[in-house]
Amino acid sequence: MDFSLIYQNNFKVFFPEMFLATSILLLTLHGTFLSTSRSLGFPLIIRSFLKLCILVLLLTFFLLNNGGLFFMLTYQNTFLFDFLTFNVKQILVIFSIFCLAVSEQSIVDNRLNNFEYLLLILCAILGLFFLVSSYDLISLYLALEMQSLCLYVLAASHKNSSFSTEAGLKYFILGSFSSALFLFGVSLLYGCTGTTNFENFSLLFATANHDFLMLNSLIEKSLICIAVAFFFKVAAAPFHMWSPDVYEGSPTSSTVFFAVVPKIALFSVFLRFFQNIFFSFGEAFLLALLFCSVLSVIVGSFVALKQKKLKRILAYSSISHVGYLLLAFSSNSLYGTQSLFFYLVVYMLTSICLWSFVFSLNNTKNAHKSKTLIDVSSVALLNPVLGFTGLLAFFSLAGVPPLAGFFAKMEIFICSIGSSLFFASIIAILSSVISSFFYIRLIKSIYFEQKGDNCFTFPVSRFCSLIMGVSLFLLLFFFFNPSLLLLLSQKMALCLF
Amino acid sequence: MFLLIEEYYSILILLLVSIGLACIILGASYFLGVQKPDTEKVSVYECGFNPYEDSRNKFDVRFYLIAILFIVFDLEAMFLFPWAISLSQISSMGFWTMVDFLFELTVGFIYIWKMGALEWE
Repeated sequence: MDFSLIYQNNFKVFFPEMFLATSILLLTLHGTFLSTSRSLGFPLIIRSFLKLCILVLLLTFFLLNNGGLFFMLTYQNTFLFDFLTFNVKQILVIFSIFCLAVSEQSIVDNRLNNFEYLLLILCAILGLFFLVSSYDLISLYLALEMQSLCLYVLAASHKNSSFSTEAGLKYFILGSFSSALFLFGVSLLYGCTGTTNFENFSLLFATANHDFLMLNSLIEKSLICIAVAFFFKVAAAPFHMWSPDVYEGSPTSSTVFFAVVPKIALFSVFLRFFQNIFFSFGEAFLLALLFCSVLSVIVGSFVALKQKKLKRILAYSSISHVGYLLLAFSSNSLYGTQSLFFYLVVYMLTSICLWSFVFSLNNTKNAHKSKTLIDVSSVALLNPVLGFTGLLAFFSLAGVPPLAGFFAKMEIFICSIGSSLFFASIIAILSSVISSFFYIRLIKSIYFEQKGDNCFTFPVSRFCSLIMGVSLFLLLFFFFNPSLLLLLSQKMALCLF
Repeated sequence: MFLLIEEYYSILILLLVSIGLACIILGASYFLGVQKPDTEKVSVYECGFNPYEDSRNKFDVRFYLIAILFIVFDLEAMFLFPWAISLSQISSMGFWTMVDFLFELTVGFIYIWKMGALEWE
């Protein structure tokens, strides 16, 4: 490759990533020199550093928008840029900014005073960017590892808490197990076909009839291995065991990031892998997808009934939502993919709202404890606006009509019934009824339960209230005018077909 | 046969010279040096540990830190050698890629240095 060519196109499409990487390096130097400066008295720079990170992400967002839309393969076909990657990156950056802003107060309160914490979040976002764009199994693996390694450290970043260390260790061991499965699948695939590039795969499997390969069953097995690694990463049911523990143990500011941001990147890249590239092997993995989806819906709704801690409830609810997403995935149609992206964006909006609700529950008694069901009781009495926000967010998560969550769920069920997945759809609908029980129980305790003891609540931080307001407005807006999001998700889905 | 000698002649010489040199150096230090053995001198040296003990003891986390940092900078050397060999064949792209890598490594080095990871106490 000629060096001068890099300025022509590769640099242009990679500009946001390069900017983000360069700013990570500069921020490293900035934080290092400032926080070890003896003349300034070893200052705590976490607040200003967080604002710098938000600034960097905002600039990355503008650079992304500046890039324009085109289709391009760069660096020997290892990275792809099209409308899907462009949009997913935009959504990623916006929600990362939301997460950082929401968790500012919590980071300060929990004394996560290391600036490396925020650098690791930025590194994870960079890894997710590469993951979204990757068009080769090697670049896919490297990007996946880059983001997961950052997330392991984020889970363990509360150094004084043994729960946090346990969460990090659990996440690391199970995450590396899933990476090993992924590598095993990749090596089988490479052994069968002699290539790792998506372009070559799609050319090789372009025809529906490829029995001439003689190795079809082995390729199907390797696809199952890769699918299992994917289920591990998104915490779908038989492979979900790590997620409640990690959600609960790690500091809440990391949990928000785990819960909200990485899913859309993982889904977009694995949708491309399974639906676009290995479309003709559908029958091999669709059954596995359907099995995992039904199981995660059931596990997510039934196990959450017994949970006492808010973080665990939200973790199980995220497992059941991954189940709905996988139901849309396994319908294997354009409409299914569209409804998947729609659901994903609505889910991210709802969960950022809910997590900021969780952040706002601090009072003098529970400030440094993990929040339980008791902490949401009589929130509506103490702070009516906050209580109403919690009500709307839980209703949207449950899929109650005047909110966007209803449309998202309805679309998924319509497309799965349209693809004749009757049994799975019936189970998912029934489980969603069960899961609405514990959402409504939370609402009941927000509105109708009295708190036994007297304590003072801390005021809701400004960023939290702002983001709760914005996300609630969007949840209502997308009910009355869903066409904006529907068009966006359709354009994203069209990139895969 | 001629080809074999032609190709491997230099390696044979290298082998002979290195064996001879090793014998000379080792023998010289063995025969000419002053030898006063005591327990400290003849015991096995293992980076500050007792070589034979229970393997499930706690030990300082700083050993891990040093080991990890060592791996990073050792891998850097492993990366540099093939690059240096093939520099004539890769274009300026290859050259600047490595310069970029070294820049990032330097940032990491400055970070660990300033944070005091290289200081034992």
